Amino acid sequence: MVLLLGPAVLYLVAFSVFPLLYSLTISFFDWRVTESRFEFIGLGNYRELVQDQVFWQAATNTALMTTVGVTIQVVLGTLLALFFNLHLRGSWLVRGILVLPMLLTPVVVGVMWRALLNPDWGLVNWGLGQAGLPQPLWLGDPSIALWTLTLVDVWQWMPFVFVVVFARLQALPHEVFEAAQVDGAGRLATIGRITLPLLGPAIAFAAIFRAIDAFRTFDLVFGLTYGGPGRVSTTLSFWAFENGRTFQRYGYASAIAYVMVIVAVVGVTLLFRYVQVRREDAS
Amino acid sequence: MKLRPAERALAYVVMVLIAIVGIAPFVVLFLVSTRTRLGVLQVPPPLTFELETFLTNYRQVIFDRFFLEYTINSVVVTGLSTLIALVIGLPAAYAFSRIRFRASDQWASTILSFRFMPPVAVAIPIFLLIRNLGLADSYLGLILPYVAFTLPLVIWILIGFFDEVPREIDDAALVDGCSRLGVLTRVMLPLVRPGMMVAAIFGVIFIWNELLVGVYVISSEDIKTIPVGAAGLISAQRPLDWNIAATVGMVTILPIFIFSLFVQRYILRGVTAGAVK
Repeated sequence: MVLLLGPAVLYLVAFSVFPLLYSLTISFFDWRVTESRFEFIGLGNYRELVQDQVFWQAATNTALMTTVGVTIQVVLGTLLALFFNLHLRGSWLVRGILVLPMLLTPVVVGVMWRALLNPDWGLVNWGLGQAGLPQPLWLGDPSIALWTLTLVDVWQWMPFVFVVVFARLQALPHEVFEAAQVDGAGRLATIGRITLPLLGPAIAFAAIFRAIDAFRTFDLVFGLTYGGPGRVSTTLSFWAFENGRTFQRYGYASAIAYVMVIVAVVGVTLLFRYVQVRREDAS
Repeated sequence: MKLRPAERALAYVVMVLIAIVGIAPFVVLFLVSTRTRLGVLQVPPPLTFELETFLTNYRQVIFDRFFLEYTINSVVVTGLSTLIALVIGLPAAYAFSRIRFRASDQWASTILSFRFMPPVAVAIPIFLLIRNLGLADSYLGLILPYVAFTLPLVIWILIGFFDEVPREIDDAALVDGCSRLGVLTRVMLPLVRPGMMVAAIFGVIFIWNELLVGVYVISSEDIKTIPVGAAGLISAQRPLDWNIAATVGMVTILPIFIFSLFVQRYILRGVTAGAVK
């Protein structure tokens, strides 16, 4: 019976565990492909990282994008789930439209929003202009490019929170709500005191799941801002990619990536608190 | 929840607004993709449809800019990777669901946690590994890592579906002289078919969109998948021809759109597979 696990375990050892250990090893080397340099430098890359301003900026960008983005996604996704819980006629179709963004290729999402947000002919700024509102340089203004990136990420991934919370809402027992109504609880009181607490674990699950994914955002940066202007929208993944692929500094890129691995492990540990609950209930 | 008629009417207005906001970006993208290079600059875009320009743009993207090849590559790579991930993942998920060996839950969690590892942490080693195997610029060079990326999620989703099948069914089949592998292939497979669908769909979505490892492993136009091809096109070409960029967007979104029409109900199951019950 345990043999059934064999292929999966062997496969993951070869193509996941081994690469992870390999990049840990590389992170202790000064490995620059273009200069054919390959030299053991111990913690040298990590020391460089602490001094690297771009690294700290990327870390700050990633942290801001993750926390702000996920917060907005949780609020919007939960509100939408509550709204669609009214089960209006035709709502299945609108739900289908809402879910679409999270299936799209992130690079293409980036290009699509570059078109929509174009300062000269993009429809967003045209609409804002018609309404007499300011027309920001969404992608060109260093003070807002990171928030534009965050908003597009929200657009693409808010549906995930929505779907998780909505599914949980469908599974809640009707009796609880009927009892609340009998007791004369108002609508807002019902939502605040009964629905939201019952949804708590599902919301936490969705939030942590999304946070781990937002933390490693790469494709969307590639398609939307390419890390710029300057470095204002460079994420940790993107900085690791640039060092690895563009500058061919394998050692340094691996050191950045390894800092990310450690953060991801913390995130996953948090996440499993909520998944574990399910496994125990099931068995 | 009971709504008064006025509230109900308001709710419908809100829903229509949500639908409009949701669909608008795609409509705009489509409009831009039917313009000439300079026609794009007209705001607001006239709501006319020029068949001639439309055909020129799409012909250019699909044939002259290799998107037909990219799509075929994506289909081959995605299809094979998902299939292999299912073949490897099914027995593993079955074993995790049925046996309680020491620390089996920790093993399952460990496998799962690979789903959340940042791809940048494995991209360089995978690139070196694939190159040393002589597989750079080949389908296999993409399929091998993509199976590894999908496997954790496939196993995770399938465990949930196996858990729903009562153990008595296994026991009955075992008593009838079926081997464990026989139970899995002959008895279990038909029962967890919906689970296989959900797992396959999520595998497909992930692999179809994967960019990072593709960029490392592939440089030949003949093997590029859609994301790698699109990434090459938008970063190589500056300034961008926006009508062409938008057509690229439409050409990549359309297959996903059609796909989503068919798999809608499975998506709900899949997203909640790991969620709290």
